[in-house]
Amino acid sequence: MTTTHAPATSRVKSTRRRRPINWRKSGAWVLVAIAVAVSVLPFYWVLRTALSTNGSLATNASNLLPADFNLGAFKRVFGLQSPEEAIADGGSGAQIDFWIYLRNSVLFAAITTASAVFFSAMAAYAFARLRWRGRNVVFSLFLATMMVPPIFTALPNFLLIKNMGLLNSMLGLVLPYIFMTPFAIFFLRQFFLNMSREVEEAAKLDGASHLRIFFQIILPNAAAPLATLALLTFIGQWNEYFWPLLVGQDESVRVLTVGLGVFKSQSPQGAPDWSGLMAATLVSALPVLILFAIFGKKIVNSIGFSGIK
Amino acid sequence: MKKKTIGSLAAAAAAVLALSACGGGSSAEAGKGEINYWLWDANQLPAYKQCAEDFTKANPDITVKVTQRGWDDYWGTLTNGFVAGTAPDVFTDHLGKYPEFIKNKQLLALDDAVAKDNVDTGAYNAGLADLWVGEDGKRYGLPKDWDTIALFYNTKLATDAGVSAAQMADLTWNPDDGGSYEKTIAHLTVDKNGVRGDEAGFDKNNVEVYGLGLTGSGSGQGQTEWSYLTGTTGWTHTDKNPWGKKFNYDDPKFQESIDWFAGLVEKGYMPKLETTVGASMADTFAAGKSVINANGSWMIGQYTGYKDVQVGIAPTPKGVSGKRASMYNGLADSIYAGTKKPEAAIKWVEYLGSTACQDVVASKAVVFPAITTSADKAVEAFKAKGVDVTAFSQQVDDGTTFLFPIADNAAKVDGIMKPAMDAVVSGKAPASSLTAANEQVNALFK
Amino acid sequence: MTTLTRNASPAEQVLPGTRRRRGRGDVKIALFFIAPAMIGFVLFYLVPTLRGIYLSFTEYSILGEPEWIGVANYQAIAKDPLFWNALGVTTQYVLINIVLQTALALGLALLMHRVAKSTIIRGALLLPYLMANVIAALLWFWLLDYQIGIVNFLIDSIGLPKIAFFGSAEWAIPTQALINTWRHMGYTALLIFAGLQSIPSHLYEVANLDGASPMQTFRKITLPLLRPVLALVLIVTIIGSFQVFDTVAVTTQGGPVNASRVLQFYIYQKAFTESDFGYGSALAVILFAILAIVAFIQMKFLKGNESDLD
Repeated sequence: MTTTHAPATSRVKSTRRRRPINWRKSGAWVLVAIAVAVSVLPFYWVLRTALSTNGSLATNASNLLPADFNLGAFKRVFGLQSPEEAIADGGSGAQIDFWIYLRNSVLFAAITTASAVFFSAMAAYAFARLRWRGRNVVFSLFLATMMVPPIFTALPNFLLIKNMGLLNSMLGLVLPYIFMTPFAIFFLRQFFLNMSREVEEAAKLDGASHLRIFFQIILPNAAAPLATLALLTFIGQWNEYFWPLLVGQDESVRVLTVGLGVFKSQSPQGAPDWSGLMAATLVSALPVLILFAIFGKKIVNSIGFSGIK
Repeated sequence: MKKKTIGSLAAAAAAVLALSACGGGSSAEAGKGEINYWLWDANQLPAYKQCAEDFTKANPDITVKVTQRGWDDYWGTLTNGFVAGTAPDVFTDHLGKYPEFIKNKQLLALDDAVAKDNVDTGAYNAGLADLWVGEDGKRYGLPKDWDTIALFYNTKLATDAGVSAAQMADLTWNPDDGGSYEKTIAHLTVDKNGVRGDEAGFDKNNVEVYGLGLTGSGSGQGQTEWSYLTGTTGWTHTDKNPWGKKFNYDDPKFQESIDWFAGLVEKGYMPKLETTVGASMADTFAAGKSVINANGSWMIGQYTGYKDVQVGIAPTPKGVSGKRASMYNGLADSIYAGTKKPEAAIKWVEYLGSTACQDVVASKAVVFPAITTSADKAVEAFKAKGVDVTAFSQQVDDGTTFLFPIADNAAKVDGIMKPAMDAVVSGKAPASSLTAANEQVNALFK
Repeated sequence: MTTLTRNASPAEQVLPGTRRRRGRGDVKIALFFIAPAMIGFVLFYLVPTLRGIYLSFTEYSILGEPEWIGVANYQAIAKDPLFWNALGVTTQYVLINIVLQTALALGLALLMHRVAKSTIIRGALLLPYLMANVIAALLWFWLLDYQIGIVNFLIDSIGLPKIAFFGSAEWAIPTQALINTWRHMGYTALLIFAGLQSIPSHLYEVANLDGASPMQTFRKITLPLLRPVLALVLIVTIIGSFQVFDTVAVTTQGGPVNASRVLQFYIYQKAFTESDFGYGSALAVILFAILAIVAFIQMKFLKGNESDLD
């Protein structure tokens, strides 16, 4: 990546500096700080709870520090406590194979994200850049799928996967997601609409095929939205719960959300294993955070960069 | 027709993906192989895993795969399993749910097996086995455990108020003035200025500690909320139990009791309903926000698990009849009608309902097993852990329990009664408004 | 600078809505491009939806066999006070959500775009989205608890009356909307931010040279060019809000009384808890129709199909 600096932003910045309205900027920073605080502070409570002992949480409800500091919750998440120890700590007696769940979650989220984003990009290209009869009708239909209440689809899809003999397999888990997500198509179409046709038309005059245009012009130019979309899709898939719960009951394909679901309240009127739940939340968010830390910079850069080869 | 469409589409998709769909081989004999067993309470998982191991030792050609999933996911995934034919062979069943399953023919009747294998249903605590006989006279489950209601109380706060354990064990109640139960609750209530609920100058709008905790309005059952009181007035939920056809929420006796109950909020002795939506009542109890909590025996572990909180357990008050009362609820293991291994499943269910397994469950001191001798062992096991649970077991020993109301349309009744009771307990409507709700409920049975 | 210039002349600029070179069309190639998505669409969306519509004309308990009863479910819904209540409650939720979320997200996106460019800030704002819906709801359920929640401790300590966030009829829905806003604010901001980034920089240059004020620049350049993305964000937020379910299910379960019985939760109760799947399906079809109409109006109104790039 050669030109990493976004011209737009740098210009705005420099013009800003010339004007004597620095208070405006500091005001803006205050707003950003508030937004960040609101977003992040609850996570302190998550951490504080994760480091607490369950039996002491309620008695120290207003204490800002961990109540009875203890790493037991994290041990539970990694399946390092015996069932008896876990129950004594206010956890459940369920066995946890953390690393297997992690592997399954990574596979599930990665496969569905990569595949859905790619196929959705293809479809979005057809909806935004190609001219064909019935295009808007078909697009409206696709868009409408976003409005189908999930209650409708879960059961028939479950039956379908079952009839294909794919229950408790990774393929069965990913299948409904790999072809597209309506959101991804919609999202990319909106971006493709905004792209200039000039280069595309020029390429066409040069005799380039649609396939080449798609791969060599459209995709590279949409790097930023594609990366954003991939990240958001990945997070969404990472947190997917109900479908994996239905289809991936088997230990071998159980994903993190389902495996760590045992920290929620297991019986009516019972309280959740709060510290375990919060530790699980932190630990399961970590891989996505790492992902963001690694690719976040790339996303920033590619967003500012809008070049063609 | 529908199936065909899905089938052919499935085939098409399979072709596109060049997949070879592999159907699971299900040719194993009915009495052999692996069977699936589900339960929701993770605290009991170790006990039942132990049972499964012991069972396989005795029946080497059958293995049991125990799967646990929390209450919130349990019924949804089970229903999906019924539809798709993938439900577990054996599962923990609830009285509130099984009428629906019978209606839809999802459960296997156990009568033949019970007769053939001479299962002694008399070994279970009186009444428990009858709960699992459907309206058609057939048996759909073997009892596994039971629960009753008692009063958990914070011994330190009670002692501070001068209320002794002996007093707590000897409370009385009536719907007119609330008896010594209300007096004790009032006395245990403290406002922000340290004034008690029965003293002059008590500020009911700024209460620091409530005498009685509140979980919710109790919907149509009031299992832990008010059924231990209404049960002493001679009132019953339905005209007969099990399989009642008419509910009695229009009974003045009942409405009077509920008016008293809702009145506690008005007097400032019990938290407002709107403030109880959130953390569990047990957690607020541990935080010292209430002194007495009426709750079920399945919560013993929760209440005694808090650090730095001393918990006493007292029996529910003696009521209008001069006796105590507690709802008596039980779980059972049922067999899925679509099981491919009915013989193995029956063996497992019978083992679950036997002394061998229930003694193992008893030893873990989590719940009371259904078999009388095993339940006694559980009481001992609790005692060994330093918890005196006689307040729960004495209701059974004294015969002061009444059975959980079993009726069709449980979910629909709940859908009507929950908002109706919420309105009453939150003081938005008088208990007499329940007459209208009762009409709606009874209309379901016409 | 290899920046792709976007000042295509008006003649070159083809609005996708117009069918200039009809006849010729790219049908074959288009088919190729949408084929994979089409498989997913048909298998996992279209078929279940058609099945759902069929079931809405039946009496069906999931476990039994569906029985055709015509429009009886729809007639019953028209007279069902709980349905109308659910519709009202859901609308309230949607409105609060849209206004708050879109306004906040737009503001944040602009701030991210102009002032706070750091990845760390962007990551921090996205943090709530990393938490699954159900967990976020549980966390706030606890933070906001009346008796032992830390937020009410803080409110109490500064001398204000405590708030029954989930338990009181007035607060139940706004609280749910606030939790949702908390979780999605950064996410939505990121979407808009991505849209801002795709606005060609030279337009801002020109505006600057012309001496346009920031406000004018925003109204004349940013907002119009953001239209496709804003349309997307609004539609996605509205659809998402209409389908609110998780937070209600793990917190108030429709209460107090009926104050938070949103449509999707009511559908769930009818279809699964009360085993009236036919009725639930009919409710779902109505929800679907409402969403389709709203989305249609929005697309027209916001001209989401077009860009103002010229």
